[in-house]
Amino acid sequence: MNYDVLIVGAGIAGMESALTLGDMGYKVLLVEKEPSVGGKMILLSKVFPTLDCASCISTPKMAATAHHPNVTIRNYSEVEEIERQPDGEFRVKLKVKSTFVDQAACTGCSECEHACTVAIADEFNFDLTARRAAYIAFPQAVPKKAVIERHGTSPCSFTCPAGIKAHGYVSLIRSGKFDEAHDLIMQVAPIPASLGRTCFAPCEGECSRGKLEGPVPIRLLKRFAADHYYEDHDKPSYGPPEKKSDKKVAIVGSGPAGLTAAYHLAQNGYQVTIFEAADKPGGMLRLSIPAYRLPKDVLDRDITNITSLGVEIKTGHRIDSLSELKKDFDAVFAGCGAMQDIKMKLEGSELDGVEGALTFLMKVNSGEKIDLSGKTVMVVGGGNVAIDSARVAVRLGAKKVIIQYRRSRAEMPALDAEIQDAIDEGVEIQYLKTPVRFLGQGGKLDTVESVTMKLGEPDDSGRRRPVPIEGSESKMHVDLCAVAIGQRPDLSSFAEKDKVSLTRYNTFEVDSTTLETNIAGVFAGGDVVSGPASVVEAINAGMHAAEYMRRYLEGEEYPGKALEKPLPVVSADDVIKRQKQHHELQPVKGKHLPVSQRLGNFNEVEQPLTEEEARYSGSRCLDCGGCSQCGECIKACPAGAISMDMRDRVEDDHASTVILATGFELFDAKLKETYGYGRYPNVITAMQMDRILAPTRPYNNALRPSDGKRPDNIAYVLCTGSRDHTVNNPLCSRVCCMYSIKQSQLIMGALPMADITIYYMDIRAFGKGYEEFFKQAHDMGVYFVKGRVSEIDEKDDGNLVVTYEDIEGGGGRKQAEHDLVVLSVGLLPNTSALGLFKGDRLEVDPYSYIQEVDEDIDPGRTSIPGVFAAGSVSAIRDIPDTILHSGAAAAQAAAYIESKKRSSK
Amino acid sequence: MSDRRIGVFICHCGGNISDYVDVEKVKEEVAKEDGVVVAETPMFACSDASQQQMIDAIKEQNLDGLVVASCSPKLHLMTFRATAERAGLNPYRYVQVNLREQDSWAHRDDMKAATDKGIRLVKAGVARASLSDPLKQLRIETKPGVLVIGAGVAGLRAALALSDMGLAVTLIEKEKEVGGWTAGLGETFPNDRPGSELVSKLEKDVRSRDNITLFTECELVEKSGSIGDFNLKLQQSNGDTISINVGAIVVATGFDNYKPKEDEYGNGLDGVITLPEFKKMVDESTGPLVYKGKRVKTIAYIYCVGSRQAESELHPEPNTYCSRYCCSSTVHTAILANNLDPELNQYHLFRDMRTYGKYELLYEKAGRKGSVFVRFEENDPPTVEKQGKDLVVTTVDRLTGGDKIAIGADLVVLVTGMVPRENPKLVDVLKLPLGRDGFFNEIHPKLRPVETVIDGVFIVGVAQGPKSIAESVASALDGVAKSGALLLKGYVDLEPFIAVVDNAKCTWCGACAEACPYGAIEQVTLDGGKQVAQIVPSLCKGGGPCVPVCDQDAIEIKGYTNAQITATIDALIRKAM
Repeated sequence: MNYDVLIVGAGIAGMESALTLGDMGYKVLLVEKEPSVGGKMILLSKVFPTLDCASCISTPKMAATAHHPNVTIRNYSEVEEIERQPDGEFRVKLKVKSTFVDQAACTGCSECEHACTVAIADEFNFDLTARRAAYIAFPQAVPKKAVIERHGTSPCSFTCPAGIKAHGYVSLIRSGKFDEAHDLIMQVAPIPASLGRTCFAPCEGECSRGKLEGPVPIRLLKRFAADHYYEDHDKPSYGPPEKKSDKKVAIVGSGPAGLTAAYHLAQNGYQVTIFEAADKPGGMLRLSIPAYRLPKDVLDRDITNITSLGVEIKTGHRIDSLSELKKDFDAVFAGCGAMQDIKMKLEGSELDGVEGALTFLMKVNSGEKIDLSGKTVMVVGGGNVAIDSARVAVRLGAKKVIIQYRRSRAEMPALDAEIQDAIDEGVEIQYLKTPVRFLGQGGKLDTVESVTMKLGEPDDSGRRRPVPIEGSESKMHVDLCAVAIGQRPDLSSFAEKDKVSLTRYNTFEVDSTTLETNIAGVFAGGDVVSGPASVVEAINAGMHAAEYMRRYLEGEEYPGKALEKPLPVVSADDVIKRQKQHHELQPVKGKHLPVSQRLGNFNEVEQPLTEEEARYSGSRCLDCGGCSQCGECIKACPAGAISMDMRDRVEDDHASTVILATGFELFDAKLKETYGYGRYPNVITAMQMDRILAPTRPYNNALRPSDGKRPDNIAYVLCTGSRDHTVNNPLCSRVCCMYSIKQSQLIMGALPMADITIYYMDIRAFGKGYEEFFKQAHDMGVYFVKGRVSEIDEKDDGNLVVTYEDIEGGGGRKQAEHDLVVLSVGLLPNTSALGLFKGDRLEVDPYSYIQEVDEDIDPGRTSIPGVFAAGSVSAIRDIPDTILHSGAAAAQAAAYIESKKRSSK
Repeated sequence: MSDRRIGVFICHCGGNISDYVDVEKVKEEVAKEDGVVVAETPMFACSDASQQQMIDAIKEQNLDGLVVASCSPKLHLMTFRATAERAGLNPYRYVQVNLREQDSWAHRDDMKAATDKGIRLVKAGVARASLSDPLKQLRIETKPGVLVIGAGVAGLRAALALSDMGLAVTLIEKEKEVGGWTAGLGETFPNDRPGSELVSKLEKDVRSRDNITLFTECELVEKSGSIGDFNLKLQQSNGDTISINVGAIVVATGFDNYKPKEDEYGNGLDGVITLPEFKKMVDESTGPLVYKGKRVKTIAYIYCVGSRQAESELHPEPNTYCSRYCCSSTVHTAILANNLDPELNQYHLFRDMRTYGKYELLYEKAGRKGSVFVRFEENDPPTVEKQGKDLVVTTVDRLTGGDKIAIGADLVVLVTGMVPRENPKLVDVLKLPLGRDGFFNEIHPKLRPVETVIDGVFIVGVAQGPKSIAESVASALDGVAKSGALLLKGYVDLEPFIAVVDNAKCTWCGACAEACPYGAIEQVTLDGGKQVAQIVPSLCKGGGPCVPVCDQDAIEIKGYTNAQITATIDALIRKAM
């Protein structure tokens, strides 16, 4: 769009310039980075010297700006670049940040805020309290529309192979919304209790809290949500969907991939039948994972989530031709896993007593009675199946259980906690060892000969390749050797009967987008495609395939548009920087069944989190992405205005002239270390005090933060960050004396018994009515002490000892005790506009204020023709001076436009 | 029976209202009201779809009144006025009822009572709408010209900027020369540019503009008309008068320097001079300062002379305000003096050093160059006396615990402040109010510092209050901006809620004219000779103090007529159901 004027910043300066120019008839584009116009003034309590309510006099300006026919507001937007063209016009690149709320539909009702489960330090209350990630900036916001703060996708959610909104359920659980957490997980994974026990939890590896005291136990929280729900619901609360399709889908295999695909397809109304070769459904979850990790009743309950939708599971039904099956069904999904052990090609491998670990586990898990009392069992391998086999052998009474692994502990792929559990249970792990020969008697294993290895150069997988050390052979007696060196799918019959394409790893060859095999309508996913992988990856495959099968079945554009990508992941370092207020919160120690209670049974080892532990653990979450994507706001919004699909957009505009009105920033009081701000809770900034005194205040009274006590002896420390070379700001900030005097007068109204002392260097009450206002405070009993404060110390009761130079009393060093100290922090230029100009140099003064090139008679004019400064961006100004200066900038801009028009005629 | 056709829309506000107020019940009750022909309960009245529904209803049902019961009028009064207008209904026949802030949000705990109150509020709105008349905004054509009074630095700069915008400017100056105080200054703070140079540049520019007419030795003597269309009479020193017609007036009449009283800080003693006098001495010197033939070796400055005064025998009407510029100007001048004579001893006796903002750097610099700053308390001021031939300034050094110190000075500079320029004639012509400090008073010191209660008259520069040169110029340009905002469009629209007089009832007692703070009521004689009150529409602000003082009930405010107010109250106190 073409505008006459671009104004950057919609504080009081920007609004004043915009309204004035709009009234003159110029088209104004007003850009504001925050969700609301109003800048800092709207956040103030009252203004000096009239003690007008800042809101009452700001809001009409804000509304007038919003309604002005010649003013276009781009709130929640940032100017990215301004380039002066040869004709003197400015090309403006604008980033319109995504609000995730349809601004036209939003009515500002705040329901999303009430529903939101993420608390964020409220910058509009200067971090005194929290607001939500879904929020309306403040009650008088213009426009009064919600936005959702999203910095990106939280690392946990981003890293989840299935895209489960981990951050979402963590934030729901800490909010006590346990059922909602369960439902959120169920949007992706229909077997939450199993997943909460068996997942390898890459989310926890990425958790930003892991860079501090230790990650949030995200997997256990998932288990908590599922278990909690199951306690109250012995079966799902839903039945088959009302909307039924007459299309039929067959699913081969009832492991996590098949169950997930079935669940999503059944939800879409398809008639789904699962064919399972085993006697019971669950695939690897049932056959491979021992009950002490995943109790069978838990798995059974998970599976009812799928069967309740009307999915039929035909067990004991092996499928050996997919194309045959396809004849009776509209689509087929093959998720039949990697169920075949890889054998060691060694002498004696055929002996009775040498068997595949998976085969061993399947026997045990299908209820075959095996007694290993007094036996020596060896397990070969270092993965989870190896550990499972060893721990199962312990439970079956084996006298001795040894794991031989050909690399070292560092390379061992099994989960650390599992390895530790195995060791605790008495399993001996022999690293850098592997069998080379099985020796038997009468066809039965008796002895294993092993060799010691050393680690050589890294192999394809990046792990160092084990090399046998010559002459290191040794022998030991072994009754049973379970070989856990890998599994693979058994697809031989499909290859033969269906001519289905396989990869060189003996897995299905599928389209990487749709997971469709070379047979139309036959899809595959999970271990049959990826090779042995994890439960959560299988769930992802099932869900993914279900979506493309739906498109296939509905005859939609196929494959059609790609699945929606999440926002980019946020970096943990950024999060920790942003979450400057995080407290140290130690992780909950995981609880396991004592070893003595584990032997001889298959009772679940890992103990659940209590409700209290779960909520505490959730509260340790740093809310990396801002919004957790828990979805509560979407459910709560009566206008249906919320959409997580929105993305930032770039807008190109043109303007004839530019006014920079980006205002000021507050001095960061932490930089004045001797004052203890940030360390002593009862040392606050004056901006915080202004919020405490404002009509939209965060607390109901003027309280001190440490204990909520009403302060009765308050100190103001003027010139904090001003007139101070030690913090590189020798300038006076102009407004601090006056706002401190104003606050003193307000406090005397709110806390009539309070004593107020103002430590000052000079009281600079120079504006119209200011001196009288100062006098009034003096007469009301505010105690003025001339002298700079050197340091502040905290006492045990939270009171503060202020050390100051007593200039009036002879110049000595003195101390006084106060129960609340307010730092009258100075103002610094907001420099964000300085880097915007491409090709032109915007001159600044030594303190980074925009240089007015002829301050005396050309206020607002900068070094770039057509660019003007309004308000505090060129020198700190109080509100009246800001108004005057912004009016001046408007006049300058108008004159510039008119003279350009005249010269082009 | 009412013959009106009112449409009522009761908004759910997505539950904000309907969760606490039974909107269906409200609709049911309100629909029974006389004249209500449409009653609906949209989910969001402000949504585009609901607005369209209203437009359709207005057109199809031929409505002559519209009531939306929703949120605060602050939020959506303009929205629904525009909706009415788009449907062809006079926007002033729209009435907003605040069912959210005033009802549902206030009574979340009692739905029955909230519903009851809601019914009454909406019925009251209907009552007011039933008596609404179509009103028209008052449109005033504006004249594209501005009178600038005062050709100091502020007035000169304002004239140029107005001219830049294409507005015709008449610039008048009481004195012979333009430039005001600034013209007489050498290097000024903080940029060290000579005031004379600033002024001559501006004057040259002003004289070169076709659309600026400059009259020196000229004053404004008569004003009539109002915002956008003032008729003015100017008088020159030779007695000639000039009539002009402008849309706005910018007052830039500046200030005077405080003149110390006899004996105030030794005023009248040889060697005691004021800041402007000292500044002139510095400006005119090229080497070490010489006073009456003697080299000046020591200077004592006494600050806040004529500023920050308390009431006393000497100052029965004290200047309580701070003059703002003097601290910075003095330290700047001290730096200049030091440049002329690095050996110079300078003692600054001050109360609070108000070198605010970037001027702080000047204070620092003066200190580094050897100026000594000694603070004094208001109730323990320094004294200046002649001891023999010597001037001695005595004060208390508070830093050393109250030791008395005496400074033998060759020169004592009284740092005098700014005082309002006495201008009773102009004040009388413009009817501009003065503040308690004697400077012209703005309408709001925070947000509307150049606007006055007289619409179309702006006060800029030091005429409004003490300022530095740069601040005066910024203020002048703000006055220009406000003039431009008023005049560049070519017209001004005023809300039609103004008073109207019933000539039949009016007996002209003058009470209304007395009550009006804006001078918007005039006495006129009707054709039959009857004396009645008449409202000047462009001056009336609809505030209404004239209404209750009329014992004939002859005056009322359009849009808030007595009948409307009565009907509204009646509806509110009637039983809801």
